[in-house]
Amino acid sequence: MYEKEKDLIDAFLRKQMGRRDLIRGLAALGVTASSASVLLNMGATRALAADFDWKAHSGKSLKLLLNKHPYTDAMIANLDNFKELSGMNIEYDVFPEDVYFDKVTAALSSGSSEYDAFMTGAYMTWTYGPAGWIEDLNEWIGDASKTNPGYNWDDMLDGVRASCAWNGQPGGELGSADAKQWCIPWGYEQNNLAYNADMLNAAGVAVPTNMGELVEAAAALTGDSVYGIGVRGSRSWATIHPGFLSGYANFGEKDLNLNDGKLSAAMNTDVSKAFHSQWVSMIQNSGAKDWATHTWYQVGTDLGAGKSAMIYDADILGYFMNGGDNAMAGKLAYAPFAANPEASAPTPNIWIWSLAMSKYSKDKDATWNFLQWASGPEHGLFGATQMDFVNPVRKSVWADEMFRKRLSDSYPGYVEMHDVSAPGAKIHFTAQPLFFDLTTEWAATLQKMVANEVPVDEGLDQLAESVDRQLKEAGLG
Amino acid sequence: MEHTSTLEKVLRASALTAVVIFFMFPIFWIILMSFQTNETILRVPPSMIFEPTLSNYRGIITGQLETNAATLEINFMRNLWNSVFLSVSSVAVALALGVPAAYAFARHKFRGSEDIAFTLLSFRFAPPLLVLLPLTLYFQQIGLADTYFGLVWVYQLICLPLILWIVRGYFEDISPDIEYAYRIAGHSWFATFRKIALPLAGPGIAAAGLLAFIFAWNNFIFALVLASADKQPVTVGALAFITASGIQYGQIAAGIVLSVAPTLALALYAQRYLVEGLSLGAVKG
Amino acid sequence: MTMTAAVQQKRRRFKIGKRTLPYLLSLPALLVCIGILIPFFTAVFYSLQRYRLSQPWARQMNWGENYLNFITDSGFWNTLNVSLLYAGLTVVLQLLLGLGIALLLQKRTKVNNFISIMLLMPLMTAPALAALMWKLMTNPGFGILSYLLTLVGVDDFRWAASSDTALFTVILVDTWVYTPFIMILLLAGLRSLPKQPFEAAALDNVPRLQQFWRITLPMLTPYILTATLFRLLESIQQFDIIYAMTQGGPGDTLTVFQVEAYLNFFQSTNVGRSAALLMILWAITFFISNIFIKNWLRLRERARGEA
Repeated sequence: MYEKEKDLIDAFLRKQMGRRDLIRGLAALGVTASSASVLLNMGATRALAADFDWKAHSGKSLKLLLNKHPYTDAMIANLDNFKELSGMNIEYDVFPEDVYFDKVTAALSSGSSEYDAFMTGAYMTWTYGPAGWIEDLNEWIGDASKTNPGYNWDDMLDGVRASCAWNGQPGGELGSADAKQWCIPWGYEQNNLAYNADMLNAAGVAVPTNMGELVEAAAALTGDSVYGIGVRGSRSWATIHPGFLSGYANFGEKDLNLNDGKLSAAMNTDVSKAFHSQWVSMIQNSGAKDWATHTWYQVGTDLGAGKSAMIYDADILGYFMNGGDNAMAGKLAYAPFAANPEASAPTPNIWIWSLAMSKYSKDKDATWNFLQWASGPEHGLFGATQMDFVNPVRKSVWADEMFRKRLSDSYPGYVEMHDVSAPGAKIHFTAQPLFFDLTTEWAATLQKMVANEVPVDEGLDQLAESVDRQLKEAGLG
Repeated sequence: MEHTSTLEKVLRASALTAVVIFFMFPIFWIILMSFQTNETILRVPPSMIFEPTLSNYRGIITGQLETNAATLEINFMRNLWNSVFLSVSSVAVALALGVPAAYAFARHKFRGSEDIAFTLLSFRFAPPLLVLLPLTLYFQQIGLADTYFGLVWVYQLICLPLILWIVRGYFEDISPDIEYAYRIAGHSWFATFRKIALPLAGPGIAAAGLLAFIFAWNNFIFALVLASADKQPVTVGALAFITASGIQYGQIAAGIVLSVAPTLALALYAQRYLVEGLSLGAVKG
Repeated sequence: MTMTAAVQQKRRRFKIGKRTLPYLLSLPALLVCIGILIPFFTAVFYSLQRYRLSQPWARQMNWGENYLNFITDSGFWNTLNVSLLYAGLTVVLQLLLGLGIALLLQKRTKVNNFISIMLLMPLMTAPALAALMWKLMTNPGFGILSYLLTLVGVDDFRWAASSDTALFTVILVDTWVYTPFIMILLLAGLRSLPKQPFEAAALDNVPRLQQFWRITLPMLTPYILTATLFRLLESIQQFDIIYAMTQGGPGDTLTVFQVEAYLNFFQSTNVGRSAALLMILWAITFFISNIFIKNWLRLRERARGEA
């Protein structure tokens, strides 16, 4: 039916023809640009089928546990292609993010075999891995009989890939030689600045390039109905990991020290205290009034609604707020941010939405079949160019001209921001089993400091003391 | 009739007005919100003048939500159906199990009856998380995880003790003489129970059932921990409008209205029983 | 077979039936609940273990250590404190408010009946959703309540976001949801009071305030006790509202028992501590529910005696 079109597409996939020629050729055949992209993906699917037996698990059925997220939407939109490619059936449960991880913990801790694979963050695998709930995926990645030749594992951004691998030793370096690949990166977030360009122009404020400038800019932008800087503040690990830890790490500070296999608190140094005071007073003077309840959602919604002028948070949060029916859609811009004036480049801490395989999966090879497709270059490119599957974790997608142009056209500064900060982007936390205890307490301490219940110095000393005690209790310190 | 001064009348009226405003305003406001787009909700200052839209409800009912980033599929109607199914069947089971037991406790003071009755009631007051967390493990082992059957069982934790205690009170208030007379006339125990005891305790059973229904409907944590997405009730489903790409305030509001509406309708329709149920059957007017 | 033999046989069957019947009738209900008892004992067992899901190799019995640790754990004392404070404040506030409203609505008029039914609406709202509603109304950007406050000159009220006002805010939501429960219970009580003592008092020209203290309140006491204990049991176990509004924050302001235990289990996966916390909560509720049930039984006895 589409023979001529297929020939054109195959020629393109063999790199004999440029993308523009392809689109032109297809247009001559009466194919519109939008159906061309679907065809192209179909072509990509057929190309995949050429050199690997995708049908090995044909007829089997898998079930996924997914978080309600644009990545999930992108995957579901492309799922029929996988079903056709593999002959497998995929079912899925989607839960709202507010309860998603509780659901994962409930399912895995009870040994539920209902889900074969699920979405997770790297931090969570520091619990799931040692608990014995997930598989080390190296076993499959390295097995040529199970992984298609085009999978190209080395195509993954290095910092991101390493951040999903841990050897299970408390304090063990992420991505070390003996690390287990607990999950596969899917999409990720760097933490940088997103700002309302109109507001900055109107106030005559330059885009801040370090912490001192950020504090000043935020204060200058704060007015009656607008506050200067949006950062998260709820009593949760999620308050620590975005902008806060990115800036903290930029000053060379760490969360924990590792000495002779023993962990101890590292957050009560002088540099850390200075950074904390700066951060706390920035929120007090120019942050949201209800900062202490702010999660991802409020930080983003306020920027999109024009209630905040800047956010120091996930880049993709700023990305989402620049589209759709947000009042400020089209007015946002992006900049890399190195908090430390002496730092040469930003060191964003990252969040990685990843895919993990449940230990209780009934058919792990079949599950891997799906995982390698979902994290493969074809779906990555489809999601990044056709859907909101940003930020991609593959170098090849970032190198794709169409993707870069699409981003640059509607998201000024986004691509440059990514390129500048990608080399320093990785998880800056110490991997250890008490991650959630300690970060939640850290967030609670920040809340107390912002509320002036405790001075910064004293608060950090108390926090360090409590952290040390908990580490000892758990046999880690 | 005693005299009431004008001043007192005014004070009473203003106090009542304040009470009505405090308790009614949030509901009124959420209904208004449900007819607004995100844009009009986020306006400053908030205003009651807006062009009403049905898009929130339309989105929820058809399952297609237009969000900032994309069109999302949300199965809120499925959540609504789950709430109906779980609440109705839990109450039905609780009535089937609880009413005979309540009758036994009321009519027959048997050895250990008070202790058993006390134990059963104390379940109502135990922290739900205490049993819920280990229960996930057992449900997994015996294959009850993620089944409606398992959920209805756990819901008995809320429904059964309530029904048992309220209905028991009603049975105790009915003089057993009528039943004895009927038995002596040669009717079986079961016929007596069905034809005499049950109809007499009818209002109490209705009250207890209604109350149990409301508690079951409002539950949040049980299904969340124990079941997959296709079995979640509205209390969990309403969270789905908070998405990574933005909070859909209008849809949250519409979702809340839709999930509260059934209990409100039921309460208004059967308010007499509800009041009796809430009085825990302790009150005889 | 003679007539008497038949009757006797019938009687014997009746007798046997009479002894086993109540057990038969209550057995199904009992079995259903015993299913629940097993996880209860599992939780007791967990609470006596050092048990973190993320360190399965370190799992071992440590007997009372989880409990002993509480003594020096300021987090635990804070939890106990906040839980009791929360329960105490909500119950007292709702009791006063509920009694006041019930007195206002005491007279059986059409308007009063209509209002009392309308007031049930918050009670019909799931607490998790009620919290969501109030979150929308207290949003500092577009929330109507925040806006109304700015109109009267209060523009720095931070509701659930400040540790000074977070407790107030969740108590407000709790009060909104549950005051109607107390109101309806006391209203039913008020309306069932016998008329004679009041008529006698009116004849003697006893001032109405005195009537209230001397007659109404004492006669209403059993109802007040029931309402108090019932609410106390529920509010010391508060989870939905607090979790939905602040997850226990800001700081450690609102880490009540069930919220803390939930976070311990799902976030820190510290099963041992979570179970021990819940056991302590259970002990408290068991103690209160004991009082509650005894009182409830006495109230019933009295109600039947008067009927």
